[in-house]
Amino acid sequence: MSNSAKNAPGSFPASSPGANRALAVGIVGIVATAGGLLLPNNTHAVAHSWLVGVTFWVAITIGMLLMTMIHHIFDASWSTVIRRQWEHGLAAFPWLAVLFLPLVLATWFGPRDLIWPWMNPEHVLHGHGTVANDILYVKKSSFLSINMFMGATAIFFTVWIWLSARLRKASFTQDSDGDLKWTRMNRVTAAFGIPLAALSLTFAAIYWIKSLEYHWFSTMYGVWFFANCVRGALAISVLIMLWLYVRGDYKGILNTNHLHSIGQLMLAFTVFWAYVTFSQYFLIWNANVPEETFWYNLREINADGSPNQWKYVGIFVLVFGHFLVPFLYLLSYKHKIVHSKIKFIAIWMPCVIFFDLCYNILPALKNEHGDALPLVSVNFIWTITAVIGVGGIWLYAYLKSLPTAKLIPIRDPRINESLLHHE
Amino acid sequence: MATSADHAAPAILNEVNPPELPRAVLVENNRSFTWITDKICGIIEGKTPAWWWVCFIVACFVASFTVAGITYLVATGVGVWGHANPVNWAWDIVNFVFWIGIGHAGTLISAILCLLRQKWRTSINRAAEAMTIFAVVCAGIFPVFHVGRVWFAWYLFPIPNSNYVWQNFRSPLEWDVFAVSTYGTVSVLFWYVGLIPDLATLRDRFMAAGNKLRATIYGFFAMGWRGSNRHWSNYEMAYLILAGISTPLVLSVHTIVSFDFAVSLIPGWHTTIFPPYFVAGAIFSGFGMVLTLMLPLRAIYKLEDLITQYHIDCMCKITLATGTMVGYAYAMEFFIAWYGANPYEGFAFINRAFGPYAWAYWTMITCNVITPQFFWFKKVRQNTALVWILSIFVNVGMWFERFVIIVTSLARDFLPSSWGYYSPSIVEIFTFFGTFGVFSVLFLLFIRFLPIMPMAELKAVTPQADVHGGENHH
Repeated sequence: MSNSAKNAPGSFPASSPGANRALAVGIVGIVATAGGLLLPNNTHAVAHSWLVGVTFWVAITIGMLLMTMIHHIFDASWSTVIRRQWEHGLAAFPWLAVLFLPLVLATWFGPRDLIWPWMNPEHVLHGHGTVANDILYVKKSSFLSINMFMGATAIFFTVWIWLSARLRKASFTQDSDGDLKWTRMNRVTAAFGIPLAALSLTFAAIYWIKSLEYHWFSTMYGVWFFANCVRGALAISVLIMLWLYVRGDYKGILNTNHLHSIGQLMLAFTVFWAYVTFSQYFLIWNANVPEETFWYNLREINADGSPNQWKYVGIFVLVFGHFLVPFLYLLSYKHKIVHSKIKFIAIWMPCVIFFDLCYNILPALKNEHGDALPLVSVNFIWTITAVIGVGGIWLYAYLKSLPTAKLIPIRDPRINESLLHHE
Repeated sequence: MATSADHAAPAILNEVNPPELPRAVLVENNRSFTWITDKICGIIEGKTPAWWWVCFIVACFVASFTVAGITYLVATGVGVWGHANPVNWAWDIVNFVFWIGIGHAGTLISAILCLLRQKWRTSINRAAEAMTIFAVVCAGIFPVFHVGRVWFAWYLFPIPNSNYVWQNFRSPLEWDVFAVSTYGTVSVLFWYVGLIPDLATLRDRFMAAGNKLRATIYGFFAMGWRGSNRHWSNYEMAYLILAGISTPLVLSVHTIVSFDFAVSLIPGWHTTIFPPYFVAGAIFSGFGMVLTLMLPLRAIYKLEDLITQYHIDCMCKITLATGTMVGYAYAMEFFIAWYGANPYEGFAFINRAFGPYAWAYWTMITCNVITPQFFWFKKVRQNTALVWILSIFVNVGMWFERFVIIVTSLARDFLPSSWGYYSPSIVEIFTFFGTFGVFSVLFLLFIRFLPIMPMAELKAVTPQADVHGGENHH
């Protein structure tokens, strides 16, 4: 029984001492990010960095929520052993809601335009007067109001936490009683949960990211965010499964076909991300209307016409790093099934998703000429510490959840099919 | 590079104790391989039924409307269509996109379901692929004859000519030419490769029955298929590669069709969600048309064991999902038109919902967003007649979607002084009406002379074909 699990699937996985270490890393990251506030005139940069950090991990957790619900709605079998790890990942939502609070509190009690300029009617726009006098703001002010923002954000987290709790409860309870009603309940949850998640992630992307430059608009934006959510979730779940395999828990459970299937999904969503991102860029570039192109211009050139750093982020990190490298890499069967190979791309993908979020969020930080501040600057440090800080808390939430349920859903009606998954 | 450990049953199987939740069988009543062969081949080998002749004659008559319409257009000029400023694009492109959407969906359904290893595709993929090809034929009629002097249509291709006329490669309409022609070619190949083993079966059966003429014809197209291991191995690889090629191709083609509108500056057309929205719409309309075609065939030929309630459930659920995606796109367009605060864009959408074409807009919303919501209910999905009626609504709704997008935006664009109201001419109506006849003629010929389901693939999804005994090996 060379492939037997270190921890039997019928038992609960051992607690990981890594949980406390993850918590420590999270706290250090948060403290380091907060340390940025000590520098003069650095509050905006730290706040934007925090937004990147929280949004990055929220995106991954939404991706796990969607993958869990997609699994149920399709009555999929192969992903049953992976699903349990997505369910543990969902434990992070309440923590993420707490970590979003500083942004809410800072904008509520501090300077209203700390992150989202439209929150302060007196905010001075570059060459456009103030927000209150801006006709483009006035027209959408009923949507872009601080009360609507706060209420919507509360609804988003409530929906995500509620859906996660339902899915987790049904799945974990089935481990002990083996009742099919939990499978049916999760299908029902998925049926209404997918549209709810689609709408909430779309409006979260609009409120949190797109409204940073509220003049700009794109109907594709929610789809772009969705693509990143799913890609991030797939990549992180590969890393988790490989870690569990190394730890011994997933030996005899995880086979190469699981990795092949998840690798194929990673490839498909790489193409999907490129498709929606290119379509958005191409249609705006081709139409060449200033009310849309300014968003990309800000990420390519300065006011004096010279190229800025974001242009190279767009070309090298997004075109090559986000699309071409994973696309070409994942075409190979070997790269999808050999642990070290798929691990490489599973680390690569979250990194480029992080840069994609930076590309969408950080250029909102502008200098006195209205040019986007460069990516590689002292501000970038806070972005990295924020992602590590929130990531530490995310990992803590995951690891604390891990020993609370059996290693795999041993009484899921599709567990046999999943364990015997073959091409 | 699967290891031996991957193929061995994991030891932990002894520890899991899952409840039983049987999966639906894809061929009901434990039908044998012979039964499947006899059932599918019997449709071709039997006497031509009376209903077929009635339908064929009616379809030919309806198709004659298209022939008459385009003959009149060629003889008279493109002005016989109802286009006039400001609506210079109307039923021609509406009908083109309607048919090409259905056309794209067939291969999309077949190829994507193949790549996703959805075994239930076997009952519908052949007819869906045939539908694709016939729909592309119908679609092609409109742009080709809209050029007016159809004998110059070859100018669309970059062929050197004495007038040094060169194509505008920056126009998505030119991209359409390459995309649709490539797509048509690959779709025919995909369909034909899938047919080869079944054509060989027909060849052998006709030979055994002493019908040498038909055996020779089917034999010619079967290209010497003998069913050897080598043949099957090459066939499977070729089919998978074609499915792999077809999938991005079909996505790109409908994306380019969406670019026909989205690259412009016309309010209501220039929106970034158009590419995936058009693709979702194509799948939606495709499943609508597959249901419209397959449910009557199921009843007439008593194919309930092959097109089971599970197949209908799956198709209804995908129709529901894609209809909801289309609804999301409608909502997002409307919301962003308001959020963007561009008065022209905002007006375009208010005008759609409450302007002179509001009747078309609300028909679209009713058919495409509300109708599929009925498929949430199991009782509806189990009522075949109701499913068929709802599928007709889907077809109607998707035609109206293109009409709403194209006509409402052009009829009232930037300049109120140039606003107008478009109505189709009788020639346009006849031409479009006739394409249903063209489509039906081709589909009826397909039913009569080619196997409507892939027999070999159907046999592979029966319990008898499962070497593991059909127990939990999916």
